[in-house]
Amino acid sequence: MRLQIWRTCRAALAGLLATVALPAMAEDLQMWERSGGNAGMVDALVAAWNDKNPDRKINLTYIPHTEMVPKIAQAIASGEVPDLMGMDLIYGPQFEAAGQLVDITDKVKDWPELKTASPGHMAVSTYEGRIYGVPLYADVSALFYNKDLFRKAGLDPNKPPTSLAEIREYADKITALGGDVKGYFLPGSCAGCNIFTVAPLIWASGGTVEPKDAGDEPLKGDGVKEVLQWARDMIKAGNVHEDARAETGETFHLRFGSGKVGMMGTGNFNITLSREQNPGMDFGIALLPGMKSGQVSSFAGGDIVTIPNGSKRVDDAVDFMKFLLSDETQVEVYAKMLNMTTRGDMAENKYFQAEPLVQDVAKAIAVANTPYTLKFFELINSPQGPWLQMLQRAYYEDTDLDTIISEAKAQMKAIAAE
Amino acid sequence: MHSATGRYVGLLYVAPALAFVLVFTAYPLAQMVWMSLHNWSLIAQKKYIAFGNFTKAWYDPQFWTSLNFTLKYTLLITPILMIGGYLIALLTAENTPLRQITRSVVFLPVVIGLGASSLLWYWLFSYDFGLVNRALLDLGIIDKPVLWFGADADVALWAVIVSIVWKVLGFGTILFVAAMHAVPRDVSEAAMVDGAGFWQRVRHITFPLTARTILLVTLISVIGSLLAFDQFYIMTAGQPRNMTATSVFLIYLNSFPYLKLGYGAALSLILAGIILICTVLQMLLSRRSHA
Repeated sequence: MRLQIWRTCRAALAGLLATVALPAMAEDLQMWERSGGNAGMVDALVAAWNDKNPDRKINLTYIPHTEMVPKIAQAIASGEVPDLMGMDLIYGPQFEAAGQLVDITDKVKDWPELKTASPGHMAVSTYEGRIYGVPLYADVSALFYNKDLFRKAGLDPNKPPTSLAEIREYADKITALGGDVKGYFLPGSCAGCNIFTVAPLIWASGGTVEPKDAGDEPLKGDGVKEVLQWARDMIKAGNVHEDARAETGETFHLRFGSGKVGMMGTGNFNITLSREQNPGMDFGIALLPGMKSGQVSSFAGGDIVTIPNGSKRVDDAVDFMKFLLSDETQVEVYAKMLNMTTRGDMAENKYFQAEPLVQDVAKAIAVANTPYTLKFFELINSPQGPWLQMLQRAYYEDTDLDTIISEAKAQMKAIAAE
Repeated sequence: MHSATGRYVGLLYVAPALAFVLVFTAYPLAQMVWMSLHNWSLIAQKKYIAFGNFTKAWYDPQFWTSLNFTLKYTLLITPILMIGGYLIALLTAENTPLRQITRSVVFLPVVIGLGASSLLWYWLFSYDFGLVNRALLDLGIIDKPVLWFGADADVALWAVIVSIVWKVLGFGTILFVAAMHAVPRDVSEAAMVDGAGFWQRVRHITFPLTARTILLVTLISVIGSLLAFDQFYIMTAGQPRNMTATSVFLIYLNSFPYLKLGYGAALSLILAGIILICTVLQMLLSRRSHA
């Protein structure tokens, strides 16, 4: 009897020790990533890593995208940081300048993969010549157009518009079809959507948006006023759905797939999304144009992956970065999902060759810009910032555009100077 | 010597409460005052700037826009909550089964979280899918859907007011009912014997004898409205053009997304000062009316 009790206690003690010891032996890497991005892509990358690295899996947590900047800042301030962070690439410079990310230059500088990595991503991952991150995924903006609506409106479905004037002309004809169909889409309450899809129209027209630093002038060039006038005229002509005014970005990615919009600026992610949403819809992709034919541009966006100061698994995190840039991952994960590869030399692959639309949108990378500023959120991405305020006044008021632009400039300069 | 000992013993008794107040109120307040005197970022070095943040607020057009909007919201919603709550309390004060059920139904939304309630009403007011537009269209009150959020600040304000009145009305009602139950029955009965009608009894008996509760509910409503944030963050996101961003919304925006803790702290102190002034004024008015 006594022996039995002793054996039972021994077994219980062993079980208790194992329960405590097991999590310590198999500690996952903690990774944070913003919501509202390309979650499917990030899930697939993490799953692929976990398959190959069962002893150092990544535990991925999504942070609401509007809370990402303060959440990361609070984590850094409190010391409770994850091992890896995926972040919207335009926030990279702000955290790098504040010294909050691990400098990985010495660990990655000899990687051959970095030579062909997305220039826009690498630019915002670099601060004062030091590297702090690598691309996680890439999005580019382009002009998606509904070929079915083109045909109904008597337009050639193989001839997308090449200037803003042509977009207006085509939009008028598509809107005239009636019903709930409109020629174009302009999100009225989403700062990020507009920098992704309207800023390229300004860039293509020779204008600039953000100031690079405190001494730089924002919103330069005639292209700014010309594009704002064009947008105002499009809305007044009834070419945009009325509820676009309330679009905060929550349903922006679903608009094109609804089949009720003739043309709109959106991202490569909408290829798969639109097919899922509206399998029968025939659509094409062109580059976002400027005022004149031949002028084109795009926004190279997406996320970078970085290592916050305080991470205890820097070497493992760097190994994950190498994994992301490897040939196999670029083709068998990124390209297989019809997402942009983050290395330019991997764009020629069997998956893209079988899908002409991806090849069309990949052309945008060559003409894409990625803004570089230390105060991107406050200047541009904030729903309360001067970028969206300027657009809302331009889109929905009759106030003189020069006044609107000069007031927005003053606000941007004040923010940049702080 | 005996009184000195008594004082020390007294101090010992209040020490736990004093410690609690010092740790959870006095210290954070002092810390916030200290932060307000700095350019204090969450991720970068802080810099002492004395009253620079307060000067910045004075010249910040958004500060005045938010303050005016918050005051406008408070002035509009408070009478609705007071009058509406009091009338429903008068209607349901008697303890009959039907009136008890009615009070419970009116009170039910109070227990729903403000975030959940705001999300519910955000979708009820949806342009395409909302039941509000659907009902108004079917009743012929409107001939095309209304864009409740993102277009007109006043339309958005009234939509938020509707949602908050639905949610919060029951709270005041319950407090008013309790106050009405405390009115001595013999006073009302004596008035009835003298021929006083219902509204005369309300005016001359019920209303004066529930004045303290009315003041309390008004105070709670005013403070709550001046501190409004959740409903505007969720339903309007400050749109259009920050015209529906309340004072607390501005504090949140500067403190967290913009990482300007120092400026957010200064704005918080300014708002706290305004609320204190409103509270003191109300207390003085109440004392005067009792005198």
